[in-house]
Amino acid sequence: MSEYNVVGQKLPRVDAVEKVTGAAQYGADVHPAGMLYGKVVRSKQAHANILSIDTSEAEKLPGVRAIVTQEDVPSGSRIFATDKVLYLGEPIAAVAATDPDIAEEAAELIKIEYEVLPVVQDVMEAIKSDAPRLHGDATKDGPNRRDIITKIKQLSDNQEVDNNEEIRKLEAELEKYSDEIYYNISAETHNAAGDVEKGFAESDIVVEDTYVIPRVHQTYMEPHVSVASADSSGKVTVWASTQGPFAIRSGIAGRLGIPLTQINVIGTTMGGGFGGRFGVIITHVPAVLLSQKAGRPVRVQMTREEEFLDGRPAPGCVIKLKTGATKDGHILARQALAFWDSGSVSGASIGSTIRVRGVYKIPNIRIDAYGVHTNKSGTAAYRAPGAPQAIFAGESQLDEIAEKIGMDPVKFRLMNMREEGDAVPAGGSEPKVGYKETLEAVADAAGWWNRDADENQGWGVAVGDWTNGCGPGGVYVSVHEDGSARIFHGSMDITGTDTAITQIIAEILTIPYKNVTIRRGDTDSAPYSTGSGGSVVTFTMGNTAKLAAEDARNRILELASERLNTNADNLELREGAVHTITADPPKSITLGELAAFSLSTTGGPIVGKGSFARKPSTPALAAQIAKVEVDPDTGRTRVLKLVASQDVGFAINPMAVEGQIEGGVVQGYAWAMMEEMQYGENGNINPGFVDYRVPTSADLPTVESVIVEVPAPNGPYGAKGVGEPPITPTLATMANAVRDAVGIRITELPIKPEKVVEALKNNGHKA
Amino acid sequence: MKNFEFFEPTTLPEASRLFAQEHAQLLAGGTDLVIGMKASTETPQTVISLQKIPGLDGISTDADNNITIGAMTKVREVELSEDIQKHHTALAEGALEIGSIQIRNLATIGGNIAHASPAADTVAGLLVADAQVDIASADGGRAVPINELFTGPGQTVLKPGEIITQFRLPNPTSGSHYIKHKIREVMDLAFIGVASAVNLENGVIKEARIGLAAVAPTPIRATEAENLLKGKIPTLELLRQAGEAAAAATSPISDLRCSAEHRKEMVNVLTKRTLQRAVARA
Repeated sequence: MSEYNVVGQKLPRVDAVEKVTGAAQYGADVHPAGMLYGKVVRSKQAHANILSIDTSEAEKLPGVRAIVTQEDVPSGSRIFATDKVLYLGEPIAAVAATDPDIAEEAAELIKIEYEVLPVVQDVMEAIKSDAPRLHGDATKDGPNRRDIITKIKQLSDNQEVDNNEEIRKLEAELEKYSDEIYYNISAETHNAAGDVEKGFAESDIVVEDTYVIPRVHQTYMEPHVSVASADSSGKVTVWASTQGPFAIRSGIAGRLGIPLTQINVIGTTMGGGFGGRFGVIITHVPAVLLSQKAGRPVRVQMTREEEFLDGRPAPGCVIKLKTGATKDGHILARQALAFWDSGSVSGASIGSTIRVRGVYKIPNIRIDAYGVHTNKSGTAAYRAPGAPQAIFAGESQLDEIAEKIGMDPVKFRLMNMREEGDAVPAGGSEPKVGYKETLEAVADAAGWWNRDADENQGWGVAVGDWTNGCGPGGVYVSVHEDGSARIFHGSMDITGTDTAITQIIAEILTIPYKNVTIRRGDTDSAPYSTGSGGSVVTFTMGNTAKLAAEDARNRILELASERLNTNADNLELREGAVHTITADPPKSITLGELAAFSLSTTGGPIVGKGSFARKPSTPALAAQIAKVEVDPDTGRTRVLKLVASQDVGFAINPMAVEGQIEGGVVQGYAWAMMEEMQYGENGNINPGFVDYRVPTSADLPTVESVIVEVPAPNGPYGAKGVGEPPITPTLATMANAVRDAVGIRITELPIKPEKVVEALKNNGHKA
Repeated sequence: MKNFEFFEPTTLPEASRLFAQEHAQLLAGGTDLVIGMKASTETPQTVISLQKIPGLDGISTDADNNITIGAMTKVREVELSEDIQKHHTALAEGALEIGSIQIRNLATIGGNIAHASPAADTVAGLLVADAQVDIASADGGRAVPINELFTGPGQTVLKPGEIITQFRLPNPTSGSHYIKHKIREVMDLAFIGVASAVNLENGVIKEARIGLAAVAPTPIRATEAENLLKGKIPTLELLRQAGEAAAAATSPISDLRCSAEHRKEMVNVLTKRTLQRAVARA
């Protein structure tokens, strides 16, 4: 028996009925009277100077009510391209018309004259001196140049000795690394601990490889959509499909110079987000501009093709990784040089390169990571931003080391995993995390220790770590005369977070789950809430909900104390009523009676308030094992078994947690095996679900989920964020399984049949 | 979507007359046309639905196991037909490969063929069934063997006003099999498609037909490979040689799905595999 009644239970989601019956209101369901249809006019070139923009023909088309370009942006904030386009699909203008077909026709009538420029879409090409430049970025130096320049500077700074000869020698050496002068760099980050050169020198085995991970799209089911309505007083209402209404409110305010509280953002039911639904300029700002100009509500809704051209997908990257270990299996050093494809603007998650470290004791580590500009749209978060890419490299290479040493991949990982109290390079010490417990749990559940495999079958294992974010939130809870409770808050439901909040409040108020309802307000009415991303919601809003329920409970006990004529510390709340602990005869009063009583008291109704911003989070581990069978003649891979364990701290709703694990695993599998945004000479060439493949249920066996619970000290009931970790190890799990099955190491994703056939041929296989 | 005129004729001559106009398109299941119109890659000024014309759908089998499939027969019906599963297994297997069940409940076999995609999933099965295509037009009509229907990607010998009405499949007395090379298990487009059909007499191959999709500008028969097989005992080595001969007959392109070289290699591998299964079924 659990010590809890509502949390820890597999309860149906609070929004199950509205989702299943179709009653849920998504962005495209919003249709205010007089609404116009907006369409963004997009660049037909991946890189070009704009010579002219002529809207005159479009303006004459009957039904067109507004056309906006950058000239209509009073703040000057860049919403539309004016003199230059940097990627295929970049917005140049937007039109609003009485009918979507008219809007589309008007968009085609806007004449844009281009002077086409050379295009660069590959990061390794973009860093070269002869690559087209997107911006006027200063060049950056690679790792060897950085080291030499640092040494030269140290020597020059030392005035006491004559170092001139040594400096000349170093300067000569610097010349040798002219290919380490990088162009088109948007950002860089460097981390080091220990001495990697020393670590590699002491290693018995050193493995070096280059890993290439493609750009992938979040492929949420609902494309971006917003409906904006600007009234004559200047007040702007935006129905937005977003993970963060408050971020959209401040984003619109900042971009367009509208006072914050003149903007009301109403979050509509979200058709998936995965980190990609925070952008403010994709549809929200164009909708507001069009509505302001037309004086009528305007909907701007992306097609799936537009999602691929101008969404904000996850960045691809190239990671050169080197690992050294002793022959008895101790990892001594790891070094990464990474180039992240940031697209036309900075923002790729280059900081996540550090995740090649994994959860291992690696005394010597060095990371040099660069964001690179290419002629593609910018990027954004996607489920554990940057971690799947870095962990793919790290965990693939770990298996290569284990293979060379002749150690079991699970044992090798267990041996090197950090433990509670170990020093953390960033400072402090390792908290209690179920690293080993989680890996052991998946190995046991999958039958790893007595695994069998027929010809062309193989097993792969990998682990991935992630730590949930944290952010501000506010929750109110009211108790009504019928003993029920209602929650009011402003965070977007993602993956069942409203359900978790409801369970927590029902638990504390000791009332049945079905007697608690939850309402989300808009930004005009609800208390501030952080965006629903970064696995923050259950951690943040769970803590906030707990505070609100505890605040309500205090008022309940205060009222009961008055009503039952006893001290509050002689009272306990259980099963929806307050009971005396010692009284003869025992006395009690229900929550409904107390709520009714409260209405005529000085203190007033039962309203609990919770307000919370941050507390340290605890890392979480996801461990996965796959068994696959590869057809060596066609290169096709079938997954026979897929088992995923995760240290979730505490599962507030185990059914929702399992759903998150399954979802993450499937997205990781897809990234490993089929998803990839492809680019031709003039931008993205697979902008749709025909040639951008997402898996169906026929591609995978049932994912077996194993929940491990090592509580997080600051999580509600010990809960950790669960949404992001499960995608992090799957890419490497699949690559490691294919390696085990047919002996080929695929370092460039996705693992398409053609690559497998090619690699096997190079290995001597003949069909 | 651009504006267009929509007609629902109830007779073939009327449909043929309308279809003879410029910028006219036939609407069967709509699973290709409507997508194209939404994407503005198809901009017909006239759309003629075939839905209201009686007698264009259904599968019938005569006493000699000759099968007729109406052009407006749903792909799902082809997939589930016991007669087609039994006598033209490769065609039923090809039908099963198209889109989702929802798509197959709308899409028609006539549309799949008339669209003339080199990658159409029912085409390899019809090729190895040696199907005759019946075509109606204002001046009566004609029949064309399926392997003479296609002239290029999206191109056929059909003249303005000509409408495919049915496919006639002679009694095959053979075993057949279709394999589609793809990445995703279901709802994927064919990287290539291979169908083989084999008639055996006393353990010797009497007749073999190999149909290939997405390896040339049109779906093709691998006649050299077929001739290689004729009159021989189907050893694994022979089937392997047939695979190589079939691959040599192709002229695939490289595109975003895969390289021409990979397509050729897969023709080799899958021809052998479909032949193995067809022999087992013969």
